[in-house]
Amino acid sequence: MPAETAALQAAVGASGDRRYSHSSGAMVSQALSRVNDSELIRAAQRGDRAAFEVLVRQYDQAVLRLALHLTGSEPDARDIYQEAFLKAYRHIGNFRFECSFYTWIYRIVTNLCLDHLRKRQTRKEDSGTVVDSNGHEVDLLDRVSDERSGANPERDLMSRELGARIAAALTRLTPRERMVFELKHYQGLRLRTIGEMLNTTEETAKNTLFRATQKLRSALAPMR
Amino acid sequence: MKCEWMKENLVLYMYDELADDAKFEFVHHVQHCLSCRQELEAAQAFKEEMSAAPAAEVSPNFLAANRMQLQEALEHAEQSRSFWSKFIFDFAGWMQQIKLAPALTAALLIIGFAGGSLTTWRLALGDTNAGPLPVATSNTGSQDYNIAAIDSISTNPDSNQITIKYDTLHPQTIAGAATDPRIQELLLMATRNNRNSDVRLDSIDLLKTKAQDNEVRDALISALRYDRNPGVRLKALDGLKGYVKDDIHVRDSVLEALLHDANPGVRSEAISLLEPVKADSSVHEALEVLAQHDPNQYIKTQSKKYLASTPHLD
Repeated sequence: MPAETAALQAAVGASGDRRYSHSSGAMVSQALSRVNDSELIRAAQRGDRAAFEVLVRQYDQAVLRLALHLTGSEPDARDIYQEAFLKAYRHIGNFRFECSFYTWIYRIVTNLCLDHLRKRQTRKEDSGTVVDSNGHEVDLLDRVSDERSGANPERDLMSRELGARIAAALTRLTPRERMVFELKHYQGLRLRTIGEMLNTTEETAKNTLFRATQKLRSALAPMR
Repeated sequence: MKCEWMKENLVLYMYDELADDAKFEFVHHVQHCLSCRQELEAAQAFKEEMSAAPAAEVSPNFLAANRMQLQEALEHAEQSRSFWSKFIFDFAGWMQQIKLAPALTAALLIIGFAGGSLTTWRLALGDTNAGPLPVATSNTGSQDYNIAAIDSISTNPDSNQITIKYDTLHPQTIAGAATDPRIQELLLMATRNNRNSDVRLDSIDLLKTKAQDNEVRDALISALRYDRNPGVRLKALDGLKGYVKDDIHVRDSVLEALLHDANPGVRSEAISLLEPVKADSSVHEALEVLAQHDPNQYIKTQSKKYLASTPHLD
């Protein structure tokens, strides 16, 4: 085994242990945007799978989170995760360092998610529930810990109703609006980055976000 | 006109995407316009409502299951290459492999050296009728060496003799001053010794005083990022401490250690090294996150302390 691969494999193990997760992943990734992945990318381009796995582990949690939130289904999120990274591995030779690896992998994931959302829009599925790995339907809000409600069942119920309304309002958006809103509101990305990921301009991303918030506000207005 | 502009930019203000001058104009207008103030309040209430359904976190089990499945799939996956790239020899990649495969490099050197010496010896003897050299050695011949590879096996049906041709690795020792380029090259090689962390510790300890050399600094950064042994990572940090301010790659790797390293000692050392550059935007952003969310109380307190002593640059 080449020493390089061994060193990178060690890093794979280590990075798994070292992974530091919290809800502000986007901010941390921004802070680390200067960290250079090029060495790993070049090794992966030479066919070094261990190097590719190191890259995967830097971004896969965020990718899975995005796919899970957009699809609302564990099996669908799993399919998008697998397809995205396999596609990235097969085509990493085409990566020309014109953007960051982060933007590149997110571009692959967002395209897959958009395809998924478009297909689902034609089927008019309800995203208020998710399907877990065993095929059971689970309410999205069961997964969200609501510290404010505590042991207050009345407030808990209100919070659930609000969550259901939000989930329903989100389904009224076009796939592209849903994606821009997700990347901005939940993932905290800059509009310029969102534009790069969706192969469009910052101005278009801005307009799409504007339309998305208008639609959501009017859908949720009767609640206030 | 102003109110129209305000409505168009409301979303950008809410999501902190407005430029500083536009932000100032926006706030100034809202302070003096009741209807726009009400609009802003309604928009902020909407944003808060939307946060009632935060993105569900991925469970560790789900993530682990996905990683395992991906690993299996990658074993069977092949990278697509363009038609022409199949015929292009990747010289850089080959060099990288050779450089990072000390055993193979050493074996090639030894074979070359042995071949050269043998030829010289034969020429010096002037024995042109010596015939083929015996390749078989005594049974104990291989005991002093490590066998690197078996090249061929052949059997003589008449004598029942088996002839095995193999390559050996000869253990060697070298002594010299720390400034000797050959010693430094071997020390750099030792930092990538995956079998023995003591060797890595010793080599990093010796190299850390020579971090002014770019090659040494790269080796220290690599050790800080990828070495499994926290002691090695701590020594690498020690060697890099004088370069946090001037070398952006060093700063990034120390910041990475602060955010990702599993060892609290390494993280504590990393945060102390970042004190002189706490005003740097990347460091500042990371400190803000750590001050709020880090489970390690010491890191949290230090981050708050650094932030308190740094002017906020908004």
